Amino acid sequence: MSRRLHRLAFAVVALSLLATGTALASNAAVGLSDASRDALDVPRWLYVATGGAAIGASALLASFVTDRRLVYAVHDWRRTVVGGAVAPLRALLALAGLLALGVVVLRGFTGPAIPTVNAAVLLVFVGGRAGVTMVAALVGNPWPALNPWRAVASAVPSGVRTYPDRLARWPAVAGILALVWLETTTSATDRPASLAALVLGYSVLTTLGAVVFGPDDWFANADPVSVFLRAYGRVAPLAWEDGRLTLRLPGMRLVEAYGTDEPHDSDVALAVALVWELTFSGFVTTTVGGDAVRAAVGVGLPPLAVYALLFLGGFAAFLGAYWGAARVATSRVPTARSAPALARRFGPSLFAIAAGYHLAHYLAFFVSLSPSLADVLTSPLSPPANPLVLTLPAWVGALGIASILLGHVLAVWVTHSTAYELFPSRLQAIRVQYPFVAVMVGYTAASLWLVSLPTAPPPFL
Amino acid sequence: MTDESTSHRCRVCGRSFPTERLLVLHRGVRHPGELADEELAAYREAYADEQSRLRSFRLRALGVLVLLYFGFLFLFALFAS
Repeated sequence: MSRRLHRLAFAVVALSLLATGTALASNAAVGLSDASRDALDVPRWLYVATGGAAIGASALLASFVTDRRLVYAVHDWRRTVVGGAVAPLRALLALAGLLALGVVVLRGFTGPAIPTVNAAVLLVFVGGRAGVTMVAALVGNPWPALNPWRAVASAVPSGVRTYPDRLARWPAVAGILALVWLETTTSATDRPASLAALVLGYSVLTTLGAVVFGPDDWFANADPVSVFLRAYGRVAPLAWEDGRLTLRLPGMRLVEAYGTDEPHDSDVALAVALVWELTFSGFVTTTVGGDAVRAAVGVGLPPLAVYALLFLGGFAAFLGAYWGAARVATSRVPTARSAPALARRFGPSLFAIAAGYHLAHYLAFFVSLSPSLADVLTSPLSPPANPLVLTLPAWVGALGIASILLGHVLAVWVTHSTAYELFPSRLQAIRVQYPFVAVMVGYTAASLWLVSLPTAPPPFL
Repeated sequence: MTDESTSHRCRVCGRSFPTERLLVLHRGVRHPGELADEELAAYREAYADEQSRLRSFRLRALGVLVLLYFGFLFLFALFAS
């Protein structure tokens, strides 16, 4: 897929975003898209800068909306889709989840060793990591119904111990980082047997946890997969609210606190972890990332240590940037709220960024392998007879760039709405957003830069 | 956070604010039904005052947007070929 085309399509999207709201702009955007037919080549720095500027400009545009009633109306808009219980559907989904888990373990050990035709690899990475996450972010989180371990733990007596509240979502944050680490550095992605062993180990651990602490507390706080998907699900338009399937505008659930719990420091770490894990796996699979790792190994460091340093150091840097933004915000605006309290309320906006970024990373992967996934779903016990990998048109890449930008624009609006929720003065609500928007501009620039680089398998792994 | 932040406390919900003006705005936004007449008048005044400052903010923001827009237009004209 041509990177040049990518950047070109991006320039058009970004410029039209910049142009929103100004009638003057339309002529120029049309002019540029005309020029684009003769292969406009945009330098990489300009492409990254335009992306950052588009986010900054959308924050400025959002700040023009100072009517509280309008902000609240957008936030509160909701429609009931299904009013009653759907127990039979839930049972069916739970059964599907259990069957899928069985297929993953069975075919992981007995299926073909080629990852792209093995049912275990296809189900976990194409179906789960890419597919279920996309559904969670774009439609609504199906995982509580699908989750096979919840089905098991709910069927037996549980809750010997109460879950310690002070741990909050920390175990899940650690678990997500650990899973991403395993995914990047071990052969779980290309050796189906290792994957099956990993899934078995995970099943034992998480079922045990759910039985000891009770499934509700365990899957809401400690289980990495459930917490991960629940976070993405908060971006989605559909969710169960008070026993009713309710439609809201995308991202508006991020303005409120986490479910019924008070937002916690671990939720900020969770949001940053979701953005960072995608940045990290994006970085190490580019040629620039590969060269950086090779250079560090050339100095004499062991490769795994380089990856670990990069992984944890980058996470710490991203988290530090967010806490720093909160500190700057409290020093610029007269408020009785502390910096951590601000970070906790503004942190969830990052979930929208992670969702856009996830789409950019996994959409092409998901679509190109979806025929194989469909084969595996219809006949799980025999390898696909004619494994088909779709070649995608270049505009799918542009769709990725558009989703990064849309995720950030959504995050900007969530930040705006949260600020109006928190601050009595409208000027204060505008000023408090600047540091958070600055961090978002930084994240956008980083992710757009990564998406524009040529990819290569990470070295030494 | 400073010591004076505790000196302006909302009598309805107990939240404290660093300045009197923020408390006045808070009362108007959060507890509009429980305002005394002079509190309502103070809120109206603070709101109108903020309205005029918002107007000047909007002008500046518009200026930045125009600068951004034309800045990037020129950058694209110069560097994108």
